[in-house]
Amino acid sequence: MKKILRKKSFLQWVKRLESYKIYAPMKDDDFWNFALINNPKDLNLNHSNTVLSPKKIIFPQREVILEFSTSNDSELEVKEILPEEKASIIFGVRPCDARAIPLMDKVFGGDFTDPYYWKRRDKTILVGLSCNTPPSSNCFCLSVEGSPHSKEGLDILMTDLGDKYYVESLTKKGDQLINLAKNLFEEPNAKDNKDLENIHKDSEKKIKRQIQDIKNIPAKLKEMFESPFWDEESLSCLRCGICTYLCPTCHCFDINDEIISSSPLKGKRVRTWDNCQFPDFTMHSSGHNPRSDRASRLRQRILHKFQYFIEQYQNYQCTGCGRCISKCPVGIDIIEVLNKVENYGT
Amino acid sequence: MVNLEELKENAKELLKQEKVKYIIGYKRGTNGLMPVPAFIKKPEDVENLIWDPLCIYNLTRFLVDEKRKKAKQKNPDERPVGLIVKGCDSRAVNVLLQEKFINREDIYIIGISCENTGVVDEKKLVKKLKGKKVKKIEFGKKNGFIVSTEDGQVEVPSSEILAERCQECIAHFPVVYDVLLGEKPKRKPDNPFKSLEKMESLSREERWTFWKEQLDKCIRCYACRSTCPMCYCDECVVDTINFAVTADTTAEEKAQKIKWVEKSPVLSENFVYHFIRAIHLAGRCIDCGECERVCPLDIPLRFLNKKLEKEAKELFGYDVGFDPDRPSLVSCFKEEDPEDFIR
Ligand code: SF4
Ligand code: SF4
Ligand code: SF4
Repeated sequence: MKKILRKKSFLQWVKRLESYKIYAPMKDDDFWNFALINNPKDLNLNHSNTVLSPKKIIFPQREVILEFSTSNDSELEVKEILPEEKASIIFGVRPCDARAIPLMDKVFGGDFTDPYYWKRRDKTILVGLSCNTPPSSNCFCLSVEGSPHSKEGLDILMTDLGDKYYVESLTKKGDQLINLAKNLFEEPNAKDNKDLENIHKDSEKKIKRQIQDIKNIPAKLKEMFESPFWDEESLSCLRCGICTYLCPTCHCFDINDEIISSSPLKGKRVRTWDNCQFPDFTMHSSGHNPRSDRASRLRQRILHKFQYFIEQYQNYQCTGCGRCISKCPVGIDIIEVLNKVENYGT
Repeated sequence: MVNLEELKENAKELLKQEKVKYIIGYKRGTNGLMPVPAFIKKPEDVENLIWDPLCIYNLTRFLVDEKRKKAKQKNPDERPVGLIVKGCDSRAVNVLLQEKFINREDIYIIGISCENTGVVDEKKLVKKLKGKKVKKIEFGKKNGFIVSTEDGQVEVPSSEILAERCQECIAHFPVVYDVLLGEKPKRKPDNPFKSLEKMESLSREERWTFWKEQLDKCIRCYACRSTCPMCYCDECVVDTINFAVTADTTAEEKAQKIKWVEKSPVLSENFVYHFIRAIHLAGRCIDCGECERVCPLDIPLRFLNKKLEKEAKELFGYDVGFDPDRPSLVSCFKEEDPEDFIR
């Protein structure tokens, strides 16, 4: 379904969606981040890249998965906690962040479906916004099979045409949102379609950064597991978790029991994001750590994204949002690392 | 004025004469405006070295990595590491010396004076230029910076873009070095604790609300800890590796290991993490401001550490990082130490 929405009608549309929880980028002093919108008036789609991607809404950094306790007769009681979410809409999703969600679907779907993830995922509607100008100087979606107007993962893609939005619904969920306020939308005319095409074409030209030749990289990485390259590239790595916590595709998690009282026993089993850059990541209970230094941790991050994920799911596990590049405190640049991989040893 | 050519010359000689293993300095990055740390091993690579007002990083942190790496090597190279430091960074070196974490002979310190200015805060600069791209930034003759953009050059007074910590800097020049570039400035800060005034004027409730809001944002990426030269503990309380496991450790023992801080990024745990860190930095933080700079959520961590620096100064007359031979604040007791705050 392809429609036109006047910008002055946008607020009215959002008001009609009041039965949903609405998330959108909000400005916090100097940066943007996704937050729950209480007043539709706060909704503003002029955002640059948000610090965290909307993955945090579907796959929160912390969630309780079960509660346990022993009663007086020391019977152990366990209660599963499944998220009970109201249907929600996320506005202003950048195409790179949207493409990350089908990648997470693969991880949390497949042979074993993760109920905690899917409870939220099934109830979330993603309304994207194409990037007429790249929201970050380190955007490189074009290099990883994406684009600034990619529709993958979205229910609706909006494109700013000046005083109106071009609104393309891509799924049934998307149609529903438009149908809730049918009278606000118009049919696009030939000029609108032409404008859309031009804007989308132009937006591609504005992406400045690129990986030289990504096709060879998975095979190349496979040969470089033992290479001293990783020592060199990780010299300045601080081992903080910025790159992976901010990444829209990173999905590793940890599970811990948080004890509230030890006698009588009472506590919660909690799932939190984990991070391959941390010293206790995948540490064995024997004390052995398979990734004990920063070189092997950087290697893990790169190989997971550009070799293992391709082998397992035929996709790169990076959508080119550029967050890990822009926010790295020491300027480790995944594009540079990959370009060096491409040229390594030749 | 610090002369970049002189810096390169010095570095080149050190490498040529094989006096140092390598030199840690600054070079251009590929990810945007900011320089990145450089590890220079070959004399010809000194050409990559830069020095400009964006060289804000405190490179002292890398001494921690070097020490760990060396400890694992069978036949380590015993030559020192060359390290480029500003005034604040040099005081971090002093703290590490004072705590006997590093040995003086393991480092060759190339000191750089900030003279009458200091370094630039990236966020302030970006705001000031309203989207214009910086091509080059230099120290001005007087108290300011010369910024070149596609529209030409502008002179920006340092008060507008100087990093907050530099505005309160108590020594704009290295206090420990093997070679010093630039001159020792005469400027004294007006009030080294000025930034605290606003916070201190708030009521206890207001401060509580402020910190609740701020620390609620924390995602526990630990960038603040990871960049801090003083956060060098082998086992940090927040990591779950602080438990020695052997083949004989029973499941029960493993289950009973003490977890001081939960991994959950919730307010209570975030408070515990940040307060432990702040307390452990009392009398050790030299206010290089790195923890605050690297925080992706812009949490104003400097306030916490600065407040403790002020307490150390006012209660114990203790200045951090000036004298490596003086006992450290938290490990010494004097008869005349005030104790009226102990209740
Ligand atoms: S790896 Fe970096 S650029 Fe790629 S999706 Fe993750 S954060 Fe974005
Ligand atoms: S705090 Fe002082 S020594 Fe450090 S960079 Fe700023 S002016 Fe220079
Ligand atoms: S850098 Fe910021 S977000 Fe990360 S742990 Fe420190 S305070 Fe929290």
